[in-house]
Amino acid sequence: MTPVPSLLLIEDDDAIRTALELSLTRQGHRVATAATGEDGLKLLREQRPDLIVLDVMLPGIDGFEVCRRIRRTDQLPIILLTARNDDIDVVVGLESGADDYVVKPVQGRVLDARIRAVLRRGEREANDSAVFGSLVIDRSAMTVTKDGEDLQLTPTELRLLLELSRRPGQALSRQQLLRLVWEHDYLGDSRLVDACVQRLRAKVEDVPSSPTLIRTVRGVGYRLDSPQ
Amino acid sequence: MTRAETQAESRARTPADDVEDGDGGGARRGPRRTVLARLRFTSLRLRLVVVFGLVALTAAVSASGIAYWLNREAVLTRTQDAALNDFKEEMQNRAASLPKDPTKDELRRAAVQMSLGSQRYSVLLIARDADGKTVVGNSDLDTFTRDDVPKSLRDTVNKRQPVGGGNKDEYHVFWQRIVTDGTPYLVGGARVIGDGGPTGYMLKSLEAEEQDLSSLGWSLGIATALALVGAALLAQAAATTVLKPVHRLGVAARRLGEGELHTRLRVSGTDELAELSRTFNSTAAALEKKVADMSAREESSRRFVADMSHELRTPLTAITAVTEVLEEEEDSLDPMIAPAVRLVVSETRRLNDLVENLMEVTRFDAGTARLVLDDVDIADQITACIDARAWLDAVDLDAERGIMARLDPRRLDVILANLIGNALKHGGSPVRVSVRETRSAARGAELTIEVRDNGPGIPQDVLPHVFDRFYKASASRPRSEGSGLGLSIALENAHIHGGEITAANSPAGGAVFTLRLPQDPSDGEADGEDGCDRAGREGREGGGGGFRGRPGDRVDVDVDTDADTAGGTTGGTAHDSTHDSAHDAATRGADR
Repeated sequence: MTPVPSLLLIEDDDAIRTALELSLTRQGHRVATAATGEDGLKLLREQRPDLIVLDVMLPGIDGFEVCRRIRRTDQLPIILLTARNDDIDVVVGLESGADDYVVKPVQGRVLDARIRAVLRRGEREANDSAVFGSLVIDRSAMTVTKDGEDLQLTPTELRLLLELSRRPGQALSRQQLLRLVWEHDYLGDSRLVDACVQRLRAKVEDVPSSPTLIRTVRGVGYRLDSPQ
Repeated sequence: MTRAETQAESRARTPADDVEDGDGGGARRGPRRTVLARLRFTSLRLRLVVVFGLVALTAAVSASGIAYWLNREAVLTRTQDAALNDFKEEMQNRAASLPKDPTKDELRRAAVQMSLGSQRYSVLLIARDADGKTVVGNSDLDTFTRDDVPKSLRDTVNKRQPVGGGNKDEYHVFWQRIVTDGTPYLVGGARVIGDGGPTGYMLKSLEAEEQDLSSLGWSLGIATALALVGAALLAQAAATTVLKPVHRLGVAARRLGEGELHTRLRVSGTDELAELSRTFNSTAAALEKKVADMSAREESSRRFVADMSHELRTPLTAITAVTEVLEEEEDSLDPMIAPAVRLVVSETRRLNDLVENLMEVTRFDAGTARLVLDDVDIADQITACIDARAWLDAVDLDAERGIMARLDPRRLDVILANLIGNALKHGGSPVRVSVRETRSAARGAELTIEVRDNGPGIPQDVLPHVFDRFYKASASRPRSEGSGLGLSIALENAHIHGGEITAANSPAGGAVFTLRLPQDPSDGEADGEDGCDRAGREGREGGGGGFRGRPGDRVDVDVDTDADTAGGTTGGTAHDSTHDSAHDAATRGADR
């Protein structure tokens, strides 16, 4: 983790881009900007930023598509900037791999707080490891292996897995997970949890549609268990 | 037919019920009115049947009455004439040829001979014998005695008629009809002209004629009954031909009223009902066009508001991001400039809130608002909502931990923030918030949240409008802090949960807003989850108190924005340790 986080802001509107750049720079970030998805992807390869703030409505390839393309190769955190808080936007955004989202018009410090929360997810906390069936979670190296193979997890997915693995067999509610992983308050969007669990299952489960590790607990939330 | 009546019954009952609701005390009048209304409806069919029946009855009764009467007269007269003529002849032939003072035997023989004629009647002969005694001779003692002859007839027969004028004879044949033991008889009598001539009586049974007439009467009665039945059937048929189109018209009109504006009637024929159907169709077409025009206009204006607020967002996003920078530099600004900067900052927020609220309203209007359900602890949610807006000191919360509900936490937050904010703004602190769990058979498990303030209450004329958009309670304060959409949005948010908000004045003073929410609005409907097999009901939420997140990431947040967005404000109270993401989510929550 670099002491000053470097961000890539992909936003087509000049005014918003300038204003957010100004605001985020003042919050202490190094900000690179791009006006289109194509430019953003190019900058991503050149600059290797720590995090991407991505507008959904972009000319050319849209934010969702940019998000999907980034996820094919990279696991760096992505925060979506949605102009509308229409549910379809949020759902599609989360499905294409975004870690969090903010709704315009967003205040700089709110965005900053989200950025910092997302970046913190990659920080290590303990020096032990846990084993769940074929899944090995190494908390000191912040890596997860399945059958000896490294899994590419985003910081959010990793943090979610860590929080679940810290309380094996105990069900955590969506609201609890929102606080622990996303650092959201009582109004956190429970769909963030559901989408992230879904992505995580796709990576750690043998058969994602019939999960044996991350189980849904009816009326409560999720729990991580060794397979029976 | 039954269907028509049932339909009409329900239709007919509606106005009656309205009346009942209207006058309040009509509990006793209600049923009577319903009966009246039902009668009023059925009367068309009833009237037709009655009128047809009456016509048929009058025609049949008068026709058969006349027929019966004529027949009866003809039959009786013929029988009577034949019998009396025969009797007269026999009297002349036999009775007149008797000796002057006949004996009883002679009389009887004559009587028997007389009765042997073709007319089959009994004969009774009365004369005086040589001693001046009355002797009686009859053909059949069992059936005809002197007592059978009515006295009035005897008197008439024996009375000498004055001769002269049209009358040539002293004595005539007289007759009378009598009924003995239920059998009708014809009694006739005559006196042989000449001094001391015998008097003869005849008795002829009219039973055969009576039977003929009675069977005729029966036939006529049956014919009348048949005519009545036929008339009733015809009336039913006629009523049906009229009522069926009327019923169809009624059904079509009701459907039209229910919003099926494409409803049309099939027009057949050229009668008045067809004309009515045509009128109905053209009216429906005009209505449909008008409604389509109106909804198109409304749709376009709604889209305009949606587009406009969406367009406003882009510059607002830029401005919002920069105003913060200005705000942070406020202390180092020229004291002349600082107030201007403050104004820009605060008004930008107001504008943000207004646009957010407008967008929210357009979402509700367009029906695109969706619920994101989760299982939450109500007490925790309310505490968090109050805490996030720094209202903890101003609100008395009476709620038990552990009351769980499945709802959209953001929308609940919007409702609560608006209700409590409104109470604080108009009623002053402390605002009392109480939560109850109720369970009723009709509505299932329900959550009742009451927000009660200490203010002067809501004037009666304002009460019906408190949830109206941009309705300001006092005209003297045209520019209040709220956007004027807060309570309306709160109500919409309650509705989308299948709940309701009502406003009233407490008897103890102050306004009371009561929010009722079903504890699980998702019964039977999907809850917008995205693939995870999430299905929760009576969830046990842990750690309700920990919504503040981890320590260490706190920034100073001015909660004014939240409060404002929520339609109420506590002024610019700075809440020095509100969690940053709490702030953001609260803003978004209020936005949604």
